[in-house]
Amino acid sequence: MIDESKSDRYMRTLRLPDILDLRAASPLAANLLAIRGHQATIDASHVQRVGAQCVQVLLSARVTWAADSVSFVLSNPSEAFLEGVGTLGIPIAKFSEQELSR
Amino acid sequence: MDPMAAIKQTFFQECEELLTELESGLLKIEDGNDDPETVNAVFRAVHSIKGGAGAFGFDELVEFAHIFETALDLLRSAKLAPNPSVTKTFLRASDSLADFVRAARENGCVAGAHVKSITDELNALCSGAAKKDGTSPPKQQNIDDLDFQPVAVSLDSIFESTPEEPPPFTQDFLIRFMPKPALYAKANEALCLLRELGGLGEMSVECCVDEIPLLSELDPEGAYLSWSVHLRTSADEARVREIFEFVEWDCDLDIAAADVGRLLEEFQAALEPCAKLVSLAEQQKNNNQHMASATLAPSDEHDDNAGPVKVAHPSNENGAYPAQTTIRVDLNRVDRLINLVGELVINQAMLSQRVAEAGLPRASSVVIGLDELEQLTRDIQDSVMAIRAQPVKAVFQRMSRTVREIAAMTGKSVRLVTEGEGTEVDKTVVERLTDPLTHMIRNAVDHGIETPEARAAAGKAEEGSLRLSATHRSGRVVIEVADDGAGLNRGRIREIAVSRGLIPAEADLTDDEIDNLIFLPGFSTASTVSNISGRGVGMDVVKRAIQALGGRISIASNPGRGSTFSMSLPLTLAVLDGMVVTVADQTLVVPLTAVIETLQPKNANVHVLGDGARVIATRSSFIPLIDVGSVLFYRTEETDPTMQVALLVESESGARCALLVDAIQGQRQVVIKSLETNYGRVCGIAAATILGDGRVALILDVDAIVDRPRMDRADQTLVAAE
Repeated sequence: MIDESKSDRYMRTLRLPDILDLRAASPLAANLLAIRGHQATIDASHVQRVGAQCVQVLLSARVTWAADSVSFVLSNPSEAFLEGVGTLGIPIAKFSEQELSR
Repeated sequence: MDPMAAIKQTFFQECEELLTELESGLLKIEDGNDDPETVNAVFRAVHSIKGGAGAFGFDELVEFAHIFETALDLLRSAKLAPNPSVTKTFLRASDSLADFVRAARENGCVAGAHVKSITDELNALCSGAAKKDGTSPPKQQNIDDLDFQPVAVSLDSIFESTPEEPPPFTQDFLIRFMPKPALYAKANEALCLLRELGGLGEMSVECCVDEIPLLSELDPEGAYLSWSVHLRTSADEARVREIFEFVEWDCDLDIAAADVGRLLEEFQAALEPCAKLVSLAEQQKNNNQHMASATLAPSDEHDDNAGPVKVAHPSNENGAYPAQTTIRVDLNRVDRLINLVGELVINQAMLSQRVAEAGLPRASSVVIGLDELEQLTRDIQDSVMAIRAQPVKAVFQRMSRTVREIAAMTGKSVRLVTEGEGTEVDKTVVERLTDPLTHMIRNAVDHGIETPEARAAAGKAEEGSLRLSATHRSGRVVIEVADDGAGLNRGRIREIAVSRGLIPAEADLTDDEIDNLIFLPGFSTASTVSNISGRGVGMDVVKRAIQALGGRISIASNPGRGSTFSMSLPLTLAVLDGMVVTVADQTLVVPLTAVIETLQPKNANVHVLGDGARVIATRSSFIPLIDVGSVLFYRTEETDPTMQVALLVESESGARCALLVDAIQGQRQVVIKSLETNYGRVCGIAAATILGDGRVALILDVDAIVDRPRMDRADQTLVAAE
């Protein structure tokens, strides 16, 4: 879901859905591709459940944004998000190039 | 639909496919084809069902599948020979497995006694094989371990330190786990597996993200992550493996016991590049806020200091993730597409009509363009129909279970032979074929085929044969159920029909007409109502079901040699090629498949018989001449045949007759709109359609019209009986 209110010409904010299970992976990839080229802030504050495939998509986005030399920030990760990626053995820093604003 | 329900639905769809695969494999084994590939396929089918069922907590299903799988594994490891009694048990077990799947889907339960009996049989197979082998019966909970090579576990160092009382965590395991896309596609989740692993003890997880490609090249449903897990646990290896039990086919998995010293070394070695990356990242972060950090990114373009960090792409080059060749599509979507194409056909017909009315010349570019459009529409329609076409195999395979069950209940020995399983028909036809076919198969085994003693006395093989075949014949599919039993008992049929008041005692009926009496409502030849052939609602229900599909059923019986039921069904319920004709100012459509030729009757060729019926002489034979206008009550008086056109048609039963119509408008593909659904059944009319000018035209039921004389006679006999 792209939050237009928080977006300006260069920056886009994408709010992650509550459930990031395997059904959410394709829509998430499509939503991320739609804002490619813009500075992106990914709001993970509402996430209640995480799945490995969505994590793959987010990591891929992170790599893509880095390749494009555009900033990519994951903000306000929820407890569930942190627990999920922690169990998957992925340091939260891998999602963001900046300090987390939590 | 909530996501869980959707995943469950997918699971049950897969179960259907796996059960079909299982049964077809077992039937192959029964036929003596027990090559390892077939046996493995059978084993995998049960294993996959068990796996999925476990994920949804269908415990009873899992339990049964597990026992079944245990027995199949003995077959796989050649500890059990696939003799007829073993394959019969497996076939019955596959029936029970199907029952369990159905019970899971419908939240029902499976009859306890039946389950106990088949479970006992499977267990007996296992213990029998074990005895023969000189080993103890395999422990069911460990059976899946047979897939893996045993791994040497070094426990020395741990036991040396505390020989009396082991510490809470006694073992270290190094687990390398690399899911394949299929793992996720089957609704498994790597996170859940890791969480479960963590529940066994202390765990440290490292995730390898090297394979993740750029977003534009990423398959969101692919599998790019892999994990290395160090687990300290008091559980044994079997318990660790159990966590991956349901996904073992869908991942690369390596579980090895590790000693701590080696582990530390490995860990340190692994840390080294990480430390380098971290320092690199910090360096980069200082250099440029917007530049990629080197932990993941290909940053050589942006930062000269950073070494080229490889971003691996999904390994399509090595074929690890082959492209999918099939997709699952919701049936509603296909139906919507079919409806739309139907509308397109109607619309195109309307356009053609407008152009014709405008009087444009044949050679004009508009008319040529329209012809091309028509061709294209037809191609689209064929392609869309092909999406719905399905082989009848699925239905045929279900019948083998019916035969097995009924034969067992009646103490008969019956072999089902199927032919033409690959014949494709519209999915709706296939689905709605199951019930009538089941009924016919039950009837054939219960009433048609004799007991082994009676067969032996009649000089036949003790095992009866039931042939189920499907073929394409002139635009329709013909399905036959033929048994080599006693044939219909015409005397008894007649007796019953008379006793039930269906025909008068003195009625003079041909053999064919007597045979057809069994299709009359309420007719049942069974002296007692059995739970096999039902409650005397038999063949009339079958006939109605087939008619509702736009099909026809006929019977041929040979006393002492058996009976053959033939069903002729349309390939699709959506369109047909029709000849558009005019009858008493009405536009009607005659299915083109029924029309053999058209002719202009001449006075010399038309003869009137004693009762007023007319025949036409064509090529040295006389064919009944039927005025469609009179038969359908459009007009009361018969018209002069020389002013009309005769369509020579042939019914499914091969009977020919000439239908008189006023004029032929042309040939057209028409979209079938069911009359039963929208109005009600009308004798002589198969369905309706919408023409180019928007008017509704009725589609003739040629068979009903051709059989009209006999119908009239039957009506008369019925009236007489009343």
